[in-house]
Amino acid sequence: MNKSISEILERVALKSPAWAELRYHRRETQNIQVQKGMLKQLRSSVQSGVGIRALVDGAWGFSSTSDITEKGLEKALKLAIECAKGLSALKKASVKKLPAVRLARGEFILDGYDALRAMTLEEKLSHVLKTEQATRVASPTIQSASCGYSEMFEDKVVVTTDGANARSKLARNEIRVAAMASHDGEMAEGHRNIGSTGHWQCLFQHESLAQLSQTAVQLAVDLLRAPRVPGGLSSLILSPAIVGLLSHEAIGHTVEADFVLSGSVAAGKLGQKVASPLVTLSDSGQVPGWQHGGGDLLVDDEGVPVQRTVVIDKGILSSYLHNRESAAHFGVAPTGNARAWLYNDEPLIRMRNTYIEPGQTSLQDMIASTEDGYLLDGALGGQADATGEFMFGAQKVHRIKNGKLGEIFRGATVSGGAFDVLSSVDAVSKEFQLDLGSGYCGKGQPAKVDAGGPYIRCKATIGGKQ
Amino acid sequence: MNPPLKSESDLLEACGSRLLAAALNAGADAAEVCGSYAQKTKIGLEKQDFHMASSDAGFHLGVRVLKAGKQGFAATNSTAPKDLKQIATRAVEIATFSPENPNNQIISSKNVETQSKNSLWDDALFQLSLKTQQDWTKLLAEEAMRDKKFRLNEGSVEIGAGLFLIQNTLGTHKLERDTHAAWSLMGMAVEDDKITSFDYFSQLSRKASGVPDRIAKSIQSFTKGVIATLRQAPSKTYEGPVVFSPRAVIEIFLDGISYHLNGRVVADGIGRWSKKNLDTNVLNSKFSVRDLPWTPERWGTAYFDREGTPTSERAVLENGMLRGFFLDSYAAAATGMHSTGNAVGGPNSVPSVGSHTLSVDAGDVSEKDLFAAAGNEFLVVNRFSGQVDPVTGDFSGVAKGGEWWLGGERVCFVQETLISGNVFNCLGEKLMAISNVSEVVDSGAQSPFLLCDGISVTSGNT
Repeated sequence: MNKSISEILERVALKSPAWAELRYHRRETQNIQVQKGMLKQLRSSVQSGVGIRALVDGAWGFSSTSDITEKGLEKALKLAIECAKGLSALKKASVKKLPAVRLARGEFILDGYDALRAMTLEEKLSHVLKTEQATRVASPTIQSASCGYSEMFEDKVVVTTDGANARSKLARNEIRVAAMASHDGEMAEGHRNIGSTGHWQCLFQHESLAQLSQTAVQLAVDLLRAPRVPGGLSSLILSPAIVGLLSHEAIGHTVEADFVLSGSVAAGKLGQKVASPLVTLSDSGQVPGWQHGGGDLLVDDEGVPVQRTVVIDKGILSSYLHNRESAAHFGVAPTGNARAWLYNDEPLIRMRNTYIEPGQTSLQDMIASTEDGYLLDGALGGQADATGEFMFGAQKVHRIKNGKLGEIFRGATVSGGAFDVLSSVDAVSKEFQLDLGSGYCGKGQPAKVDAGGPYIRCKATIGGKQ
Repeated sequence: MNPPLKSESDLLEACGSRLLAAALNAGADAAEVCGSYAQKTKIGLEKQDFHMASSDAGFHLGVRVLKAGKQGFAATNSTAPKDLKQIATRAVEIATFSPENPNNQIISSKNVETQSKNSLWDDALFQLSLKTQQDWTKLLAEEAMRDKKFRLNEGSVEIGAGLFLIQNTLGTHKLERDTHAAWSLMGMAVEDDKITSFDYFSQLSRKASGVPDRIAKSIQSFTKGVIATLRQAPSKTYEGPVVFSPRAVIEIFLDGISYHLNGRVVADGIGRWSKKNLDTNVLNSKFSVRDLPWTPERWGTAYFDREGTPTSERAVLENGMLRGFFLDSYAAAATGMHSTGNAVGGPNSVPSVGSHTLSVDAGDVSEKDLFAAAGNEFLVVNRFSGQVDPVTGDFSGVAKGGEWWLGGERVCFVQETLISGNVFNCLGEKLMAISNVSEVVDSGAQSPFLLCDGISVTSGNT
């Protein structure tokens, strides 16, 4: 199927009077949601179409269509060119000629697509139902539980007039378990979510479904009577999931080249020290030594093969994240970060798997050497700002006093300046985990990403009780 | 002459009928189709310049079926008869192996008239030329960059038209058309080595007339506000009164209470309130919230909901009393109440429950008196970047564009300042005052200023 589509796209591309990129995307999704013993949702959805981007007289035009016939695509191409022509007269600075680059040709298939498809939806539903039930009955204080599962099968063909013809296939899945505890009118929720790129078993390569359920239950029970954490600047040990949030929100967004060109805090800082020498931060289509990351990718939506991009090398800012346009602006090679959510979205600069490389210390030694501080775990949402100020939420805050773990507090928000916080890092653990595979990044359109790292110790402000 | 989008509405309705027939043929007892058609052109700005012009049009269709009390759902963006047959069959297959849930319903609103028709449609907007849209975008860009201190990160002007269809095998058949012009701007202010937080706003118009004037005024007001935040200084750590702007009230408090007003949460018994709380005091007697679905100049406007049930304007909290919940047919069946026309969602998923356009009633204190009541020194939260735990109501996050007031005057804007508290405390005993003028935020929800005590403010500067 994809081969015949690539032939149609190539035929249409050959007729284009201007540079054009034609991207076929078919996405099939299945979603299951069970709550308190009831199936709340079981749905299946298919969307497919072609997005066409044209560059005419230094201006971009974009059009999309679900009509995948040659005639339908020619019409969409014409519309994209008209859109670009109309804009070229208004644009102050023309888009530079896109850099010559080795573009992907052939098939790019990530492991697990066929295996996940071969497993029936009925079987997946059965696991979800059992997990919800096991979570609900795990403790007398658990009042309610839910379990959700989602999967996406992605088929893409990217053809450009300057040589790309990449046919790619991948499957992404995620599972979410939540437990709600209740006692004397107090309520608390604990959840554990994971995501991967691959087949069903890839989700459970590090934790079983039963362990995910136990983690959610324990968290809800722990938080039920937990007080609010005192606010202020503190010494914090961040878990891999929280380190992933920090890497993604605080650094990743500020080094996206479009963000840099808008004046982000990373602008003009290439080659400068921005973090502790213990910090090496990368964004990669695949993570060495870690399989099935939730943001895995072999080729981006401009037909550029993805690579591992070292953003911070031992504390020195070494690269931004690029698409072809920003790479042309900065005079560097594109890094394969152009991604579009659906066929009718234009590719934007987005992260893939973003992580801090592991260090030498053990978590145990890190806790033992902390006189007064907190261990943060369980990632909630986060945001970054142009100023480099970031915030993210942690589900659980664990007091550390005289080298020992103590009282548990309810979740809180942590904030700071991205480079200030990374400069304060004084310990990096050897334990490593990508732990945000169930996460989505929002930037006008969603993107499936993953992030993680080791445990790190740094200083930042907790928004707690005064 | 055919009415606008005639061929598209004919095709959408034909697809709906085809899906219903295919679902019944495949063994469904009842079926419901949600369909949409949308076309839009968008001219985008990025980094102080025009960025891209784009054009998009397409259909989406979803079919929900019931078979022996079991539900199945499938969706597609194709109108091809073979694809429609395939998703109808798939929905029935899913129902076959799904567990039974007696609360799943497909309801008839065949003989129930909806409110007004065509108030969301404007021929002039539908026929707007690309040249006029370019002129509007140029105006937006010029106004945004009039003061060199404002940096335009992203902006756009979008013109769109669409159709929304709900059709089921019990005779419900409702179709609505709408047009819109939407503009948005995101940016920050830069002066020397000072840089402010990003700020964002958007507005909507259902009619072409008056749009240029509204673009100019809204951009001037927005950029002026962002540039003012260049005057930054450290805040202080304290626990006490905080003023919440209309946007902050919506982002923290309305988000926080919406979970507990959701009929499905009530049905599952996992919220703070249940049927027995109806007509009793649950929050401060100053606090009232209404759901207003018939406000065409706002997002969320709907004359019928995702199941075809007519919507209505109603109070959910009145002087602190709980007056009702948001209910779709599922929540209504599960709680023994009636649907309130609050099924929301689109063709790609089964209906869920939500509000349309929430509005917090204005209070009886002028903005000046409310600020005076806050005391000598306090924080004003304009935007909130953080977490609201819907279950407990605890919130914790960064006060973006926050103002520091001292001696009755705004002395600076703050950075790295975190706030934390609890939604139900703030809207209960800690609610001190509500201003007498309310503001619509981003053409959506509406709120006045609120003054609440007992908020923990943590300055990152200390």
